[in-house]
Amino acid sequence: MTWLDVLALAPVLVLVIGATTLLMAGAWYHETRPLIAGGIAVALVAAVTAGVAPPSPMEIAGLFSSAPFARYFAILWSLVAALILMLSLRYASEREFAAGEYVALVLFSAAGMALLSGATSLVGLFLSLESFTLALYILVSFHRNNNQGAEAGLKYLVLGAVATGFMAFGIALIYAASGTFHLPEALNGLQVGGHLRPWGLLGWGLALVAIGFKISLVPFHLWTPDVYQGAPAPVTALLATGSKGAVGAALVMVLASAPGAWQELVPLLWVLALLTMLVGSLCALPQENLKRLLAYSSVVHMGYLLTALLPGSPEGYSAVVFYLTVYTAASLGAFAVITSLSNAHGEPQKLAAWHGLGYRYPVRGAVLATCLLSLAGMPLTGGFIGKFVLFHAAIKGGFTGLAVVAILASLVSFAYYLRVVMVLYSSDEPAPALHPGTSLEHAVLLVCVSAILLLGLYPAPLLDLIATLIP
Amino acid sequence: MTTMATSLPQFPWLSLLIGLPLAGALLCLLQRRSAIECRWLALVTTLTTLMIALWLFVTHGDGQAGWLLREDAAWIPRFGIRYTLGLDGISLLLVLLTAFLHTVAVLIAWPEQRRVPLFMALLLILESGLMGVFLAVDLVLFYLFWEAMLLPMVFLIGIWGEEGRRRAAVRFFLYTLAGSLAMLIAMIALYLLHAAQSGAPSFALADLAQTRLTLTQEYLLFGGFMLAFAIKAPLVPFHTWQPDALSESPAAGSVDLTGLLLKTGLYGMIRFAFPLFPNATRNCLPFLAALALLGLFHAAWSAYRQEDVKRILAYSSISHLGLVVLGLAAWNATAWQGSILLMVTHGIVTGALFAVVAMLRARTGTRDLAELGGLWGAAPALSAFFLLFALASLGLPGLANFTGEILVLLGTFHTQPLWALLALPGLVFAAAYLLRLVQGALWGPAPANRGAIADLTVREWLVLVPLALLTVWIGLYPAPFLAPLAGPVQAALGGLP
Repeated sequence: MTWLDVLALAPVLVLVIGATTLLMAGAWYHETRPLIAGGIAVALVAAVTAGVAPPSPMEIAGLFSSAPFARYFAILWSLVAALILMLSLRYASEREFAAGEYVALVLFSAAGMALLSGATSLVGLFLSLESFTLALYILVSFHRNNNQGAEAGLKYLVLGAVATGFMAFGIALIYAASGTFHLPEALNGLQVGGHLRPWGLLGWGLALVAIGFKISLVPFHLWTPDVYQGAPAPVTALLATGSKGAVGAALVMVLASAPGAWQELVPLLWVLALLTMLVGSLCALPQENLKRLLAYSSVVHMGYLLTALLPGSPEGYSAVVFYLTVYTAASLGAFAVITSLSNAHGEPQKLAAWHGLGYRYPVRGAVLATCLLSLAGMPLTGGFIGKFVLFHAAIKGGFTGLAVVAILASLVSFAYYLRVVMVLYSSDEPAPALHPGTSLEHAVLLVCVSAILLLGLYPAPLLDLIATLIP
Repeated sequence: MTTMATSLPQFPWLSLLIGLPLAGALLCLLQRRSAIECRWLALVTTLTTLMIALWLFVTHGDGQAGWLLREDAAWIPRFGIRYTLGLDGISLLLVLLTAFLHTVAVLIAWPEQRRVPLFMALLLILESGLMGVFLAVDLVLFYLFWEAMLLPMVFLIGIWGEEGRRRAAVRFFLYTLAGSLAMLIAMIALYLLHAAQSGAPSFALADLAQTRLTLTQEYLLFGGFMLAFAIKAPLVPFHTWQPDALSESPAAGSVDLTGLLLKTGLYGMIRFAFPLFPNATRNCLPFLAALALLGLFHAAWSAYRQEDVKRILAYSSISHLGLVVLGLAAWNATAWQGSILLMVTHGIVTGALFAVVAMLRARTGTRDLAELGGLWGAAPALSAFFLLFALASLGLPGLANFTGEILVLLGTFHTQPLWALLALPGLVFAAAYLLRLVQGALWGPAPANRGAIADLTVREWLVLVPLALLTVWIGLYPAPFLAPLAGPVQAALGGLP
């Protein structure tokens, strides 16, 4: 490992070293506030490092790239980790979480996500994917006194382990067929693979199943609502944003590395996208629990992403990256509202508990409404521009049918998001008293809403930046 | 289409028309404590906007073709999306109508007690969105305003509406959104075709109109656009959301919905669908006329059968708009001028009727025709206004709607005599349901259990007098309102049958 490698790896190193230090500190020192503050500082330093450290043209140990694309996501996931720690401060102290471990796990998972977003080899992909999933297994059931949390943790663990098995076996088959772990050779190798070619394709199919588990594509989505519901709200936020987004970014890395080499996988991806959007939409409609609703909505969003990935065009990849960014802001904002309304007794999950909250807590009501409308794709929010670039890429790539399905899904999505917004502003009964929220939590909300509105009103700079990132 | 020499070329008047109400709305939201201040703030904002619109009308309303004012700035260069606003004679009239009706709407909503700041803010955001719809010349910008104006309306219905409000609001939203999304797909497809042909991606209306399309492509894309516009207008098979939305909406919302939101659909046809797809338009005109005639009669018949006063007015709206579409389908200058004038006067007259009905309802607590009656003796001034607007609505000569209707019929008769002959009985139908409405509400015995009814308050006089003055003025002397249309209508019809 050379000095250049270290420099290229700097953002991840900051996260990992910071996490380890805080973990050690937490063993002797039990104050929540300074530990979490330290975690926030580490995440922010990592984000800055990723912004200023010169990207290396070399791959790190042949596993990870530190190209601008990876750096962009390193910044994004570090910021997400910082925001989630800001959200967790009160939440964690009210529930007496072991702060050192909690902070360390969040930072570790951010490091894993940052690595995954730049994986250039199947080994790197596997390692980074498993490293942050491992952290998330623990985080999901971090609230020890909560049965639902334990159930969620177990479900996530069992299904995650199955997915890992699929992934490992798939990678083994790909290696057998193509003779390499490295991308794009592992994909291109299939073209010349001779009689081992079917096995290689099977391997990619298995790897796709594993990825389908991670980003909850239908029919591998069944864990999603339960885990979202049972996990502590800040952890759900991390699950919904970083863990899905990083896998999405990895998919872009994989597919963009070998244009045209994955034509055989297109029908499979097409069917997955179709099912994901249809089933996700229909399941989201009747939900009475906000976290479950957001779970199904995240399923639908992954279907949109596939729609833009399928054409395999630079526009499509740019659209995916832009969409992931907007989706992260909106999704994080929505879970931030849930977190900031939670108190020591629990989280307000049932929609029935949200009646008239928009009047009682106008700021958070407005933020939640904005986030949901952005997820739905309302103009003036980033969500609309995201949908626009996504549909544009899909139609341009010739996937008009899927684009129409995506449009229908977003029509349905307006129905379920709008229902929540209507509940927020219905005045039939007085709103229950919930937590007034801390200023730190409000800061998170401010960041999310500003991002959503900024990207909705003036997306040009980010769109231009992203166009230069695509590998 | 170059910028005309204007008196104040630098000043962004059009952006001001959009921005001013938005600023007023933000102030309302920030000033949540005092309902009274919010009302005054909203009134001052709408009045100022009205002044600007009037000023533009006075200085630019002389009937030139082309853009009277234009603003243009880069917005998302990667996709060739620009912030382009343009004002021509047609949008000038609709902008004026928007500014006027919103001032009236604020006055109508004055006694609203629940969550006044939010109400006023939504009303102002709606005004801002409508201005944007009538001014945007870039398709994405248009789409943005087109969808953004939906939301405040949905909230106005959903929060302040009557018993069935939640359902009506969501239904209205989803119905119109379905059309909008079809338009979005068509829009992107057209953009891609144009970009492939010209190599210069652009969403500007003038650029996209140059796209060479096969007839099949034209039909498909035209269908996407027309679905959005036909749902909003609403044309008859797509109208089922409208009576619910209109009758569940609060009074100020009904005025906005019927006076302005429905007009955006027709405006969209005139501004976007027809010029972008001239061949498809030409071939579809008879079909459009058939739908219009169907709507004219179906809605008139439905209106006749309603017991709910607001629903009668809702159906009468659909019926009138059928006539407007017929005029557009006739495709000649006279009919078009009539149609556009009828859009404006229908906004004023039906808006006024909704206002009167809201006042009635505040006094009697019912909108059921069977429970009304005998109003003439109890509240003569209110009844007189009711009668005036009802007569205007059925097209009495000398009142507002007559001019537009006669121009539509004359123009239609000129090119398609059969259509005009078929439409004539529709006017008789209108007389039938409106007279039934007037008779049921104003004359006959008063219900026994009804107490004394107060006549108009000062505020209500302030609402109704301007509406009445305009109704009479346009009826007697429509020239100033027809003048700005001459140039743009000729230009829009150019090159087609």
